[in-house]
Amino acid sequence: MRWILSFLLLGLLAVVQAASSSGDKLLVVIEELAEKSKYSTYLGDLEGRGFKLTYESPKSDKVALFELGERAYDHLLILPPKSKGLGPQLTPKLLLDFINAGGNILLTLSSSHPTPSALVSLLLELDIHLPSDRTGLVVDHFNYDTISAAEKHDVLLVARPDALRSDVKNFFVGDGKDGDVIAFPRGVGQTLGNTSPLLTPILRAPRTAYSYNPKEEVEGVEDPFAVGQQLSLITAMQARNSARFTVVGASEMLEDAWFDAKVKPSAGLTGAASDKAVKTANQAFAKEVTGWTFNEIGVVKVGKIEHHLDEGETELVMNPKIYRVKNDVKYFIELSEYQWDKWVPFVPAEGDVIQLEFSMLSPFHRLPLTLSSTTPTSTIWTTSFKVPDQHGIFNFKINHKRPFLSNIEEKNTVTVRHFAHDEFPRSWAITGAWPWMAGIAVTVTGWVGFVALWLWSKPVPLKLTKSGKKAV
Amino acid sequence: MAETVAEPFLKGNTGRNTRGILRLSILVLIAAAAIASRLFSVILDPWFNFRATKYLVSNGFYDFWDWFDDRTWHPLGRVTGGTLYPGLMVTSGAIYHALRALTIPVDIRNICVLLAPAFSGLTAFATYLFTNEMTTSPSAGLLAAAFMGIAPGYISRSVAGSYDNEAIAIFLLVFTFYLWIKAVKLGSVMWGALCALFYGYMVSAWGGYVFITNLIPLHVFVLVCMGRYSPRLYVSYCTWYALGTLASMQIPFVGFLPIRSSEHMSALGVFGLLQLVGFVEFVRSGVPSKQFGTLLRGLVLLVFGLSLGGLVLLTVSGVIAPWTGRFYSLWDTSYAKIHIPIIASVSEHQPTAWPAYFFDLNLLIWLFPAGVYLCFQKLADEQVFVVVYSILASYFSGVMVRLMLTLTPIVCVAAAMAVSSLLDTYLSLKSPDPADSAIEAGSNGTPAPSKKAAKQDGLRSMRQPLVGIYSTFSKMSVVSALTAYLLIFVLHCTWVTSNAYSSPSVVLASRMPDGSQHIIDDYREAYQWLRQNTAEDAKIMSWWDYGYQIGGMADRPTLVDNNTWNNTHIATVGKAMSSREEVSYPIMRQHEVDYVLVVFGGLLGYSGDDINKFLWMVRIAEGIWPDEVKERDFFTDRGEYRVDEGATETMKNSLMYKMSYYNYCTLFPPGQCQDRVRGVKLPDVGPTLNTVEEAFTSENWIIRIFKVKDLDNAGRDLASAASFDRGNKKKKTIKKRGPKVLRVE
Repeated sequence: MRWILSFLLLGLLAVVQAASSSGDKLLVVIEELAEKSKYSTYLGDLEGRGFKLTYESPKSDKVALFELGERAYDHLLILPPKSKGLGPQLTPKLLLDFINAGGNILLTLSSSHPTPSALVSLLLELDIHLPSDRTGLVVDHFNYDTISAAEKHDVLLVARPDALRSDVKNFFVGDGKDGDVIAFPRGVGQTLGNTSPLLTPILRAPRTAYSYNPKEEVEGVEDPFAVGQQLSLITAMQARNSARFTVVGASEMLEDAWFDAKVKPSAGLTGAASDKAVKTANQAFAKEVTGWTFNEIGVVKVGKIEHHLDEGETELVMNPKIYRVKNDVKYFIELSEYQWDKWVPFVPAEGDVIQLEFSMLSPFHRLPLTLSSTTPTSTIWTTSFKVPDQHGIFNFKINHKRPFLSNIEEKNTVTVRHFAHDEFPRSWAITGAWPWMAGIAVTVTGWVGFVALWLWSKPVPLKLTKSGKKAV
Repeated sequence: MAETVAEPFLKGNTGRNTRGILRLSILVLIAAAAIASRLFSVILDPWFNFRATKYLVSNGFYDFWDWFDDRTWHPLGRVTGGTLYPGLMVTSGAIYHALRALTIPVDIRNICVLLAPAFSGLTAFATYLFTNEMTTSPSAGLLAAAFMGIAPGYISRSVAGSYDNEAIAIFLLVFTFYLWIKAVKLGSVMWGALCALFYGYMVSAWGGYVFITNLIPLHVFVLVCMGRYSPRLYVSYCTWYALGTLASMQIPFVGFLPIRSSEHMSALGVFGLLQLVGFVEFVRSGVPSKQFGTLLRGLVLLVFGLSLGGLVLLTVSGVIAPWTGRFYSLWDTSYAKIHIPIIASVSEHQPTAWPAYFFDLNLLIWLFPAGVYLCFQKLADEQVFVVVYSILASYFSGVMVRLMLTLTPIVCVAAAMAVSSLLDTYLSLKSPDPADSAIEAGSNGTPAPSKKAAKQDGLRSMRQPLVGIYSTFSKMSVVSALTAYLLIFVLHCTWVTSNAYSSPSVVLASRMPDGSQHIIDDYREAYQWLRQNTAEDAKIMSWWDYGYQIGGMADRPTLVDNNTWNNTHIATVGKAMSSREEVSYPIMRQHEVDYVLVVFGGLLGYSGDDINKFLWMVRIAEGIWPDEVKERDFFTDRGEYRVDEGATETMKNSLMYKMSYYNYCTLFPPGQCQDRVRGVKLPDVGPTLNTVEEAFTSENWIIRIFKVKDLDNAGRDLASAASFDRGNKKKKTIKKRGPKVLRVE
């Protein structure tokens, strides 16, 4: 009865705070408030999920990401402005500072307006590259919508993305009810640098897509900006502090028009065109992308971390500051994952493991954690091991960084000391020491015996010889 | 008149008592003077010892014994209990608890500060005892005690607050020698055992115990070679060696060294030799045959040779540790510079300059040979000891500055013997009666020069019945000259102590143009900043010289400190300091460094700064990574070590150079940027720093602290992140003909 009540309470709490796990203050940067109506469903969805929306024009004086040095908003949604600049309050440096301070940004681009240079240089800092002329357009002659773009082929119809790798969670696959076709109208494709581990494409272009500059009226494109899967339509960047930054290549896909639109895919490579018009999955997909960006899904929280001796003692001392070499140690970590409005037990993707490092300068142990128990909101992972035979200052380190999951980076420092003088096995317990101990015993008894002999052997009294001299 | 009044007190039993009281009060006064002269300025110096003592007092002996210190040598930590000489801390702890038991509430810090002066008083007393064993003159001991009390060579390590091992070790050294002489003289097991006991105490207090370990066997060896073997020698040495070795092995830091390392092998060898010689003597007393004696001598030589060969074999095979580098550098002064720069980098380990002898010992240094000569006049076992000690210590003091400390006691003793024999000769006012002296001379066995012979002699001075200086004037002139010398000595000692040895290293004093004293307190300012502005466990990287101070005064963990037990770790710091930022940064990240502290004297003209020590960092790092750090790269083509415009690229890109001169030129008008230590003009555009940022710079720029940046949040490398922060826009990579860089997942 009690736990039902507490569950109810928890549920109520969840309803009340049904928003992102990191705050609900959302700034929408939109040039003309009139444009708001175009995105009414999308923005309505956001408000419905508990976000408090503030609308500002990029040029406005009131738009300020920071107030007295503190972050003024938790999230930022930038809808594509028509003008070229973004104003002094939204410089690349300020936007980067916003990310560094833990704010999330959802940036939308559109091929109909050139991207402001401030955003281009911000993207460049993050190793996300836009077409050099700032007005690239992604087209695909095999996967377009025959209803709206029969001529220009610039409304791409893309299937829901697959998981990036088999051991990565897929947050964007949907539940299958809302359809499988995502319309990507008149978007800008991005390419990603190969070195940054923080970048992940959420939605890639189909193999047959390419990006070109529609202003160049040439027959056939000689040197396209990028083609096929190298083009990322929606890109995610998760900074090291788990702040999220998502670039949506086509702002139009968030418009009401495309939420309700019916599309008819063209004949693909296989040549079989379908006749049936289907509703796009844009609304559901937009919710997932936005939800991920604004920390509604894929957020992992570390609960309590515990470590203690595992040598069968009766009184457990939790999280001691110091261990001894060759101690047996047990380690626990509690993990929860945020799912839209509640914390649920975190389970890594199939084939993925959470690892614990016990390291000083370099890891001495790297051990997979096993699931020990599950609570209603969390899972508890554990492992036990023997402390290496090396004293020093060690760290219990969890460094779990996976695409689309917030980073788990936990470091618990402990000191590992050497054996104290009375913790070594006693000499008589070591068989190898017995000959030496026997040697000591023999010497001691021999010495005592000799002394006894010396002391108790009474000297013979001197006899006087006849001549009266002492006998020598 | 006074003499007649004093007469009854100076003769007979009462006289002896009076003299005893006089002697006692003189000794007490000497001890008081010794203590007083060490109180010029008080600042606790090796902070580590103080920290360790506090740990001992608050946690008890066993915790101290097993102490693992996780605030130094991050992240290795230090098995402190097993790698220090605990004698000093245990002594202070014992005094502390004793005073507590006597219900005298006293702070452990006060004990630590005053320990060295207190023990210098004891040293003076020990020197008195030691000298009294050497000579019959009663004044020599008192003079030696007085010399020892104020000799600058000893004061240098024992001013108030100088809480180092030497503070008690010199007392133990002298007292152990006194007990040894006593044991040799009496052939007594008790004195030998006492000597071993104090030797054990000495081992627990200072690494310099090796000096005793080698000097006593050498003394015995010389005596045996001189044919002065005696059962007294046998008893005292065997007692000392057996008990002393066992005692020394109780110190964890020493452990099995007495039977494993070459430094201790001479003691073992002499122990074996004594057994052989003893056996031979025993057999000789029983067997009178001369041939048998020769045979035995051959046997002794054979066994000695065999054991020496065995020793060499064991050393080669590695059972016995070969000589340590520190020991090699005692024989070859340039050895350390080439092979172990970490030892050579310490100023205390440099060869001694000549003026240092006069500076530290003043008139004693020229009285010293005279005293040694006097020892030759009556060459008993104990005088041989003085001679052996003098020769050995003279040599070692020439090799290393810090070994001046071991030389000082014997110089004091020898000089006191010389002065006392001079004074004894010239202070007696009475001229001997010719007749008396004739009888005396006759009784001495030398024929008294007959008047006839004297008359026949051509020299007028020889015509006198007695030869010698008997006129009051000549006596007075010699005595007064000597008195003047002694007074000058006292003046010199006071001057040296107040000027050279009482200036703490953390507070610098300078004179303003108007003559007033100006205190430069940058070190304490910086340590206080660290204490108040950084996290409790913020790791500070600095050159090892400042490790103890940071650990003690700022209470922050350090990477390396003055206990230079891990050369590789020091070399790692050296590499981080002397490499480019791109190389240093991963090293600092790996070692979890939060702040880097450098000492920069360019503004003030403070020559002991890190740029001047920089080459040692390079050399030490080069010893471990010869491919990555090269000393040659820090010199220009013409072989100059420069920091100005002409500095090499390696120099300009090194982290140390960048941190030292970062923003320095903003202090000066353009074109006048100057380094006052090196006396050069610096380029106007200073270095830029990407991986660290300035956190603190002290008032006179002596200490600069930099914070190590975290990895860039957006995954850029720190150089481009810093460039972005400076407002440089990233240039779009110009498209090259050729394959595009594709993202592979």
